[in-house]
Amino acid sequence: MLVFAASDKGGTGRSVTSANLAYRRALRGDDVCYLDFDFGSPTAAAVFAVPDIPRGAASGGLHSHLRGAVTEPLRIDVWDRSEHDSLRYAPAGAGRLVLVPGDLGGGEFATAQEAVNRCTKLFAQLEEEFDLVLVDLSAGRSFAVDMALESTARPELRSAPCHWLVFHRWTRQHILAAAGLVYGERGLLANGIALGHDPARLRAALRFVRAVVPGQDSPGIKHARPPQSVWMHAVSRQLDALAAENGLGHGKVLGSVPEEPVLKLQEQLITDEDVLETQVANPETRSALEQLARRLVDDKAWEEF
Amino acid sequence: MTRPKRDKVSGNKDAGHETVVVCGEVRTALLQTSLPLSQDQCARFLALRPDEPVRVSERPNVYAVSPDLLTGVDCRLPAASGSRVRGVGTVRAHAALTGGRVIQASAHFQYTTSVSGQRLPWSHYLVRPGLVERLGRTTADDLTAGFLAPRATEPGLLDPGSIASRLLDRARGHELLDGQPPLKSRRTRLRWAVRQVPPGAEPSVHFTIVDTERRTLLLLLPGLMDAKAVASVPPFCEELALHDWLLTTLIRVVERRALGSLSGPEVANRLGPAVSHLLHLWLPGARSGRELPELWNGVEQQPGFTRQWQTLVQRIRDQLALQSLPLHDSAPESSRAPTSAPRR
Repeated sequence: MLVFAASDKGGTGRSVTSANLAYRRALRGDDVCYLDFDFGSPTAAAVFAVPDIPRGAASGGLHSHLRGAVTEPLRIDVWDRSEHDSLRYAPAGAGRLVLVPGDLGGGEFATAQEAVNRCTKLFAQLEEEFDLVLVDLSAGRSFAVDMALESTARPELRSAPCHWLVFHRWTRQHILAAAGLVYGERGLLANGIALGHDPARLRAALRFVRAVVPGQDSPGIKHARPPQSVWMHAVSRQLDALAAENGLGHGKVLGSVPEEPVLKLQEQLITDEDVLETQVANPETRSALEQLARRLVDDKAWEEF
Repeated sequence: MTRPKRDKVSGNKDAGHETVVVCGEVRTALLQTSLPLSQDQCARFLALRPDEPVRVSERPNVYAVSPDLLTGVDCRLPAASGSRVRGVGTVRAHAALTGGRVIQASAHFQYTTSVSGQRLPWSHYLVRPGLVERLGRTTADDLTAGFLAPRATEPGLLDPGSIASRLLDRARGHELLDGQPPLKSRRTRLRWAVRQVPPGAEPSVHFTIVDTERRTLLLLLPGLMDAKAVASVPPFCEELALHDWLLTTLIRVVERRALGSLSGPEVANRLGPAVSHLLHLWLPGARSGRELPELWNGVEQQPGFTRQWQTLVQRIRDQLALQSLPLHDSAPESSRAPTSAPRR
C-alpha cells in the first residue's frame, strides 16, 4: 500500500504524525518504508532519531536517486540505527522499519520527466517489498506532490493501492487551506484527474487527518473560565460546520490527533514508554495514533458514502 | 600464489591462450500477479522479439526463457586495480519465468582481447554477440575482482545489472499482470564472474551474501573452456540465483513474526501464500545439474542450500500442523471420535 502524506501549510504536524503512523504500523508487524519527499526541509531522520543525518543525507539520498546520480537511494534501518532508547532494537513481532532520507542540499531536478520515471520505478519496487510505503510530501502544491500524482497515474502503478492523507490543523484558516489543496482549481483532485487518475477512485482514496486538535483534557479547555468555555464550544461547532461545508466532514476524516505537549517542543515518535513509563506524553495521543494506524488499513474507513 | 604467465592478458600476442572470463548479473523477483501464469501465458509474456520464439519446457517444472536481446556497450570496465580499461561490444540479456511465478532477468558477456587495439564499426561487434572487447592492459584476475567489488555499480562502468533491471521493469507493466501478488518479497541481484584456472585444479564456488539484496558468485573452472562449457555457466548462475531468492524469501516469511505468538488463522494467512506459491519451485540442479554437477555439490555442502530449505519447510509444516490441533480439542465431544460408537 502506498500512502502519501500532504498538507497545504507547514506546522500541521504532517511529518511527525506520519512518522508516528509508520512506527505504529511497524509495531503491528507490517514491513514499513518511510520516504522523505519533503524536498525543502528533509527532517524525517531527526524524528526517527537517526544520527549523522538529522537534516538529510550528505549524499545518496532520495534527491540523488531521482536526479540519477545513484542507482539506489540510501536506506536506513531504523531499528538498527536509531539513537532513541525504545527504537534501538526491533520489539518482538515488529516488522521492518526503513527510512529513505532526503538529501542535505536538496535542489531542483534537471528534467522533470526523468525524475518521474525514476520515482515511478522506485515506488513500484518498494510496493513489491513493503506492506506500507509512506511518502511524506512537502507542504503546498509542490513539485513533490505533482511527481507523486504523476507517478501513481502511470500504468506500472495503476493496480497498486494508493491512499492520500491531507493533514490540517483545527482552525478556520487551516480548514479552508486544506479544502483548497484538495478541491481547489489546481488542487490534488483537479491535478490528478488531468494527469489521468480516475476521478471517483482518487476521491475515494483521499482522507483528512486533523492534527493538533485541542482535546477535552487539554489545560486550555479543562481550566477555562466559563465565558471562555462557552466561546470555545461555539467556535468548535462553527468549525465543524465549516469543515462539513468544505468537504472535510466526518465521512472524510481518517482520524484526529490531539495537541501533545511533547510534540510542541520536539518532533519525535511517541512510544509506549513515553506514555506508560515516564508519562511525559498523554495517553490520548497514543490512542489517537493507534486508532489512526488501525484505520489506515481498515477497509471500512475507506468506504465512500 | 604464483600466477601462471598466461593468466596475463596483454594485447593480441597470446590471444589463443587467453584466460576465459565471463561476467553477468541476474535479478530475481516475484511476478507481480495473483495467480501463476500458465505455459501459454508464459510464452506470450516472454515474446520480447517477433523473430525468435520463446523456449518453454514442462519438466521438471514449467520454465520459459525469452529470446536473447543484445545491448551495445562502450564504457569503462570495472577493474579492481583502478586501471582505465575500455570495453566495446554487446551484452546478451534474456528474461525467464519459473513455474509462471518467479521472474528472472539475466545479462552477461564474455571478455575478449581486441585484435585491432581500437574501436571498430558496430558491424564488427554485432556478429560477435555477447562478446565485449577489451581496449587496454589488464589481467583476468583484475577484471573478475573489479566486477565483483561493491564499487562496480558506480555510474559510467559497464553494468549488466542495469540491463537486467530494465528488462524487469519492462516486464512489470505487461497486460497479463494484475499487480496483486500473494506475498511481499524483495528482489535480489546476483553478480557473478567465471574465471578459467589451470587444468588439474579443483573447480570452486565462492558464494557471498553482501547484504539483504546483493550476492556475488565467483566460479573458478579448471581446464579447457570451449563454447559449450561457457554456455553452460549462465544457466547455472540463474538457477543458483533462483534458489537463493526462494530461500531468502522463505526465511523472511518464517522470521518476520515470532511464529509461536500468532493465532491459528494468522499463521495460515502468513504461511499460506508461501505454501501455495513457493514450496514446489525448489528443484536445485534441475536445469544445470547435468553439465555442472560438481558446482551444485559445492553449493549444497557449503552453505547447504537444501538443508536450510528443508528445515524451513519442515518448520512451516509443523506450524500448520500445530495450528490444527486446538481445533480438534475445542470440537464438540461427539465429533471428536467419529469412528467409535458411543459408549453409553
